[in-house]
Formats: sequence, structure tokens, C-alpha cells
Amino acid sequence: MPKYDAIIVGGGHNGLVCAAYLARAGRKVLVLERRERVGGAALTEEVFLGFRFSVFSYVVSLLRPEIIRDLELPRHGLHILPLESTLTPLPNGNYLAQWNDHDQNRRELARHSLRDAEAYDEFGHMLHQMARAIKPLLAMAPPDPTSLSPGNLMGMAKLARHFRGLGTQRFNTLTKLLTMSSADFLDEWFETEALKATKSASGIIGTLLGPRSPGTAYVLLHHYMGELDGVFRAWGFAKGGNGSVSAAIAGAARAAGAEIRCNASVANVLISGGSAKGVVLEGGEEIKADLVVSGADPRRTFMQLVGEKHLPGEFVESIRRFRFRGASAKVNLALGELPDFICLPGRGPHLRGAISISPSVAYLERAYDEAKYGGISGRPYMDIVIPSMLDPEMAPPRKHVMSIFVQYAPYHVKGGWTDARREALGDAVVDTLAEYAPNIRSAILHRQVVTPADIERIVGLAEGNIFQGELTLQQMFFLRPVPAWARYRTPLPGLYQCGAGTHPGGGVMGASGRNAALEILRA
Amino acid sequence: MSRAIVIGGHADSLAAARVLAKRHEVVVFAGNQGPGIAEGWVPRALRLDGLLLFSPEPWVAAPLPAGGRLELSSDLSRSVESIRRISPRDAVRWPEFCERMARLARFFETIYAAPPPDPLSFKFALRARALGKQGLEDLLRILPMPVAELLDDWFENDTLKGVLAGAGIAHLQQGPRSGGTAFRLLHNHVGSLPGVFRPPRSNLVELLRKGLEIHAGDVARISVQGGRVTGVVLKGGEEIEASLVVSGADPRRSLLELVEPGWLDPELARALAHVRRRGVVARVTLQLDRAPGFARMALAPSLDELERAYDDSKDGRVSQRPYLEAHCDADQRVEVHVQYVPYGADCSGLGDTVVALLSEHWGDAAADEVRVLSPRDLEEREGWPQGQAHHAELALDQALWMRPLPELARYRTPIEGLWLCGPGMHPGAGTAGAAGLNCAREILRG
Repeated sequence: MPKYDAIIVGGGHNGLVCAAYLARAGRKVLVLERRERVGGAALTEEVFLGFRFSVFSYVVSLLRPEIIRDLELPRHGLHILPLESTLTPLPNGNYLAQWNDHDQNRRELARHSLRDAEAYDEFGHMLHQMARAIKPLLAMAPPDPTSLSPGNLMGMAKLARHFRGLGTQRFNTLTKLLTMSSADFLDEWFETEALKATKSASGIIGTLLGPRSPGTAYVLLHHYMGELDGVFRAWGFAKGGNGSVSAAIAGAARAAGAEIRCNASVANVLISGGSAKGVVLEGGEEIKADLVVSGADPRRTFMQLVGEKHLPGEFVESIRRFRFRGASAKVNLALGELPDFICLPGRGPHLRGAISISPSVAYLERAYDEAKYGGISGRPYMDIVIPSMLDPEMAPPRKHVMSIFVQYAPYHVKGGWTDARREALGDAVVDTLAEYAPNIRSAILHRQVVTPADIERIVGLAEGNIFQGELTLQQMFFLRPVPAWARYRTPLPGLYQCGAGTHPGGGVMGASGRNAALEILRA
Repeated sequence: MSRAIVIGGHADSLAAARVLAKRHEVVVFAGNQGPGIAEGWVPRALRLDGLLLFSPEPWVAAPLPAGGRLELSSDLSRSVESIRRISPRDAVRWPEFCERMARLARFFETIYAAPPPDPLSFKFALRARALGKQGLEDLLRILPMPVAELLDDWFENDTLKGVLAGAGIAHLQQGPRSGGTAFRLLHNHVGSLPGVFRPPRSNLVELLRKGLEIHAGDVARISVQGGRVTGVVLKGGEEIEASLVVSGADPRRSLLELVEPGWLDPELARALAHVRRRGVVARVTLQLDRAPGFARMALAPSLDELERAYDDSKDGRVSQRPYLEAHCDADQRVEVHVQYVPYGADCSGLGDTVVALLSEHWGDAAADEVRVLSPRDLEEREGWPQGQAHHAELALDQALWMRPLPELARYRTPIEGLWLCGPGMHPGAGTAGAAGLNCAREILRG
């Protein structure tokens, strides 16, 4: 008799969410985490003495509200501090700011373009509608369009009915979002370069695509999803860093009875009689369970933990084709003083929000052009937050921490990632930032650069892709990760997947973990 | 019989005119468009007596970096032989690739023979299902893909991938790494034999012209009264009455320039103004004094080279190393497709560049009468908006039921009696006459 109903491989946020839902339903669950603590890429670490960083993922915006509610995460310590603005400093000393406050935002936009200020509300309304149209899909196990089973046929019919219900106009807009580039899509709405660039930047996050690449408009919508529901508006920052998101979910899982073991690296899935029966740890220990649920990415899950020989050839071929191509890096800075921006000197509310280095669409596209041939962007896109402004406990008194999301730093960099290239990336980031806030050089006390290769090595995400696989149209919904296997099941009976490599994908959403758990409970 | 006016002299307009002639007195205003070569799949209903489809054999030759050529033909075993010399692995994969792509192209052929499908309809679902499990998976996956990813999935050789990718990007302001270009490869495969990834050419225009009343006049305006079309006004000022006007001009021009503004819903007018139609191709023609030893040659050395050529064009510059495709006819006249040449870019020296790049490959032949037609020249000469041969770029968001806009995709316009039939409509450029045929059938259905 196995001791556990389910073993979850990997204590990332999706694995923990899945564990929590299963445990709440009365299942006996064990989570196995390779590292010394849970969290995966949602992790807070004191990298430098007194300076605490969300080393990898750094904001909360997409975490599904139903998960926050179901798991009572605030009770387990989740506290989200809203980021209230986005500042885009411009090379000419001007800036564009977007504020959560409607009137303030409108006045600021009107300073650049009256037309854009007029269009902004309508744009927001449109995206809101689109997000609403997509929302039911996020919580759904995608039906298999190639299957003739009654369940799948019904699923497809339901899907068609859902889209039909949107009405022609909304359906058309949705198809446009799915097929257009974010640059083309935004061109239809706005004229201010900095506005188009900053908005289109949400369309390229995590993916080796430029803002002019078709398909990026959808990623833009994906990142807008967080602005829904009114639970917390726009982007937020978790008090205590993103590690506290994982800690809250882990707390909820434990409270429901799940067992969590750290320093327990799974070597492979135990297979007998053609189905998964448990796992084998690195040390050789065997743990049996009725089900194994992998929160690792599809490549690690199938090529490493299961092994090709236990899987159909076609399926292995599809997993091999699944694209990762990590494109993003993180630079974490310990600062002796706050950055002083040329465009907005001194301290101000803008330092409590996000700062986006995205002056124009052409700037972003050039950054991409360098990266697609294996270079590091000399002038990268950067999304910057200063968590210590919102949560003083992240840094020693009067000192600060700065988190910089950087793109593009391709995993497949020419010559491979070396210490020298890592530092070159760090220098490019600091040089770029210094063009807008010259005091940054002298303000830096410590610097940590995390390349896609580091993300792969430390967290285990294949090729350092932050979504566990590119979020492109051909790897989405019923194609994620592989056509016909998008319902969290796998060709190996007894093995499920619950990572962001499944629908609906990454961004600390937790939806994959929840959907997988519900699918398991339904079976 | 009531009078119908058809605008345009290309295959789509003429196909529409021919079908309408059964019930209407049809007058065609072809502008300066004479009989030329039509490019693309010819729908069954237009395969008239005397139709000649040309596809050179081998259909493409491409120089190899180490010397020699890659030659692809409709004969599978000959292609395999040629590919084997550069990559045994790719040679093994070629037949299956051809078979899988041909299956999808046949699916598109049925979709192209009718007005655009409703993607949510049961009928469309059934049709897609008929592809079988693997075919349907291919369709869903490949449709939004960059052609570069599709080709990387299958092949390793740069020359082979470059030549195939040419079909994915032709006339498009996108590079091979842009999503939706794999669809374009399939689009350009429709109507060709398995293993041939360029649209066939034909004498369709010449055949369609027979028996039609064709005038050289240019239509300056489409007259509308009370929301109904009443006829057209020619450039000279002459007015011709008609209750039916079928425009083969591009949708933006047809509805925003030829029609008096004010008849359209402002929302629709706004959407129309956003239809992308950026020209990216120049045409260079020249005369050789002897045969160059190829019928069609592609200079597309690798996916990266094509992508770099595209990169140059993003800022409005001509590609330093453009993608070239040269066609040579029996009289040694060579026509070269040069991409990317953005509309309005400086084209001086382009003729020399093209001759320099090609002359390495045509032996001792000497070139004469080199002529460059920039996108701007093509706009004037062929009536292509901004030099865009497809009238509306055939990108994924401007294809099928979204071509050129969802509201106009079924050829009907909000102005009663005014219809659209040009390459800017489904299935559009790269097919010969299908849009015109579909449009005319919709009109006759009422």
C-alpha cells in the first residue's frame, strides 16, 4: 500500500498550489523539493547581508484570485502592496508616466497626446472585455480538438459556444489579438512612441520575440489578466518578496495536511507495469504513491524524470520540439542611495512604482534584433522596481534594493554563458540605467546578475525560460505543451503535469497547479 | 440585363466579370493593365480550354556555398538526390515533409474555393477534422508559426531552409522568424504539386479577357446615392451608370478614395485605414545575351540572412543583402523579385547590386537593359497600393475570414451594389482569380 495518494515533484508555486488543492480534498500528498526551501522561481533570498531580494520573479499580478480566496492566502501571510505607477524615462530628459489614478493618468497622457489620452479609456475597456472573454479559459482543462471522445467533443462545442457568445465584434478583436504583433495592434490605438513601447513591452516578456512579431499581442493580454477582478489592481509587490507568495501557499498546503520535504531531489519517476508508481530520490530512496504530479518543465519531466524509452516516439518528438529559448535575465542591486532620475529628480512617488526602460518600439525591436542572432542587447528593455520603497524590511535602514528584469539575454548566447558575459550583461544594464539616472553607478553597493543559464542551473527551468516554455500561439491552450496532452495528463498512466509548461502558462498565476489538481480530483 | 461595372484588369476582376456576364451586361475598366502572366492556383471553374500552367523544372535552383546548386523539382526522387548531396538527414525527411504540407495545402484549396469559412461553424469543424488527427494537429500548430521554426523542426541545411522560407515571406513586411509565415508557405503551396513551394504561373488573364468588353479607362470615383451605388465616373469625367459595381482595386482605395467619404460608418473607415499594405518588393528586369542555365534561381542563403534582410527594412532601408528570386524566360529575359525594398526607400544602385549578386551564377552571359521598378513605380504601373502586390498584406490577421477585415470578408460592402473582388480579398493574392470567382458567386446568390 503506497503511503501517499500523490507525490508532487517540485515545490514551485504551481506544485504547492496543486498540493494544497489535493490536500484540501482529503488526499494524502507529499511535495518533494530539490532545494533547501520551497518556492522555485518565487523565492526571497538575503543575497547580500541585510539586502533581501526576490531573486527571480519579482511582482505579483497574475496570481489567480480564486486561488487567493480558496487557499485563504492572506491568512497564511500573503500581503500585496500595489505598484501604483509606471514611469518611462526618455532619452531627451522627458518622461511618460502612467498612474493608477484615472485623472492623474489622463492629465499626464494629454501632455504627450490629446488623442492618446482620449483613446486610453477605450483601450482599457477593450482589453478588459478581452480579458473577460479569455478568463473562463484560464480555469479550463483544454479539450483535445483531435479527439472524438464525447467529453472532448462536448468541450469543443462548449468552447465554440463561448466564442459565439462573445458576439462578432469581440470575437474579431480577440482573433486580432491572437494573431497580431503588439506593435501593430497598439499602432491602431496610440501615437505616443513611449506609450506604445511601454505597453508593447508586456507582449515580449519571457519570450524571444520582438514587439513587431505576430503573436505578441496575445502575451500583452496575458499580462493584463491581473488587472481584472478588482482583488488588487494592476501589478503588486508581495510584502517580504515573492518568497512570501510561496510561503503562503506552502502554509495553506501544510494546514490542509500536505507534507513538504526539502532537500529531496527526485532522480526519476518509478515506473512499473507501464504506469507511474512513485519516485526514486537521488540517494536511492523509493517513495510510492498512486499518482505522481510533476511541477517540473516538460523537458525535465519527460526526458529526465521519465525517460524516452517509456514514452511513445511521437510524443518524445513533440516534447523535443517544444520551445524554451529563455530570453530574460535579472539584475539585483543593493543600493546605498536611491536613483536620481534626470527626468524627475529627487525622491517622489514614481520610485514606488515600476520604471520601464522602453523609450520606443524601435528601441525594443533593436534589442531583440541583437538577441535573435545570439547577442546580448546592448541597450536592453528593463522593468525596474525598488521593493524597499514599499517594504522597508527588504533593505537596511536608508539603503535600498532594486530589482531589474532584463530582456534580451538569450539562453543560446553565442559562445555560451561565461562569467565574463554575465558581467558584460550587468554592465550593459548599469550603463543603460545610468543614461537616465547617472548617480546609479556610485549608488551600487553590490550587484547580482542572474542569466538564463543561472536560472536553469539554480531553479531548474529548462533554458531559463520563465514560463516553462515559450508562450507563443503554437504552444498555447490545447497545444501546451503537446497537442492531445494538454489536459494535465501524460501518456504514462499515473503521471500528471502541473507546471507552467501546461495551459495557461507562467507568470506566477498558479492556474496550472489548480487546474491540474481539479482534473486529478475529477478523474 | 442590368449593367455591371468591374474595376481592374487582373485575374480576379476578370474572373468576376466572366461569371457576372451570365446575368449582366458587364463592362470592365482595366486601367492600364493589359494581359500579363497570372500567378497562383487556378480554381477548377476557371480552368478554361487552352489554360497553360507553367512551373519550371526544376522549380528552383539555389547556389550552394561550397559550389554547385541545390535543385528542387516536382519529381520527388530527383529532389531527394539533390538534397542528399548536402544533407542525407534532410533527404530522408523530404518526402514526409512534402506529403504533410501537401495534405494541408489540399485543405486550403477547398477553403479557397469558397467565401471565407466561419471558424466557429460546425461545417468548418467537420472539414478540419477530415484532415485526420495528425493533419489537424499540424494545422493548429503550423498556422501561427514562424516559417523558420517549422523548417528548423524538419531540416538542418541552410540553403534548403532559405529557399523554402522564401515562400513564407514573399511580399510580406515580416521575416522568417515572424509568426504566421509558416501559413504563407502553405498558401504558396496551394495549386502546386507536392514538393513544389512556389505558386504556378499561367496564361489565365489572356484567356479570361476573351469575350469581355474591356476598356482602358481609369475609374476616378464610384457614385453613390442614398447608400446605393449608381455607377462610376471615369478620369476624363465621363459618367457611366450601373446598379452593380465590383471593384478589384484594393479595399482601402475602393472604399476610402473611390467612394465619397461619409457613406461609411466611421468605425469601419477607421479599421480600413489600419489595413496594412506596405510594399516591400522591387522588380528588376534585364536582358541576357545567352541562357543563364536556370529557369528560377533563389538567392536566400539561410534563415538568418533572410532575417537580416528584413531587419534592414524595419527602419525603411533597402536590405544590404536582399532576398532575390530570378525568373528567366525562353527569350532570356530575366525578372528579379528583390525583397526587402520598403516603399519610398532610395533605390539608386539597386540594379547594380542585383546584377552583381546574380552575375556570379549565370556564367558568361552579359546583362543589358537593366530596369528597376521600385515599390513606388509598381504602385503607378500596376495600381498596387504602396507597391504591395497583395493589396493587403497577407499576414495571419489579414487572412481568411479576417481578409481584409472581418466586416468585409464576404465581398459585400455596406454600400448596396458595391462589392470587392481583388487580391485584397479572400483567398487573395497568390491565387489566380479565386477571389473574383467567389465574389461573383456571392453576388449572383443575391
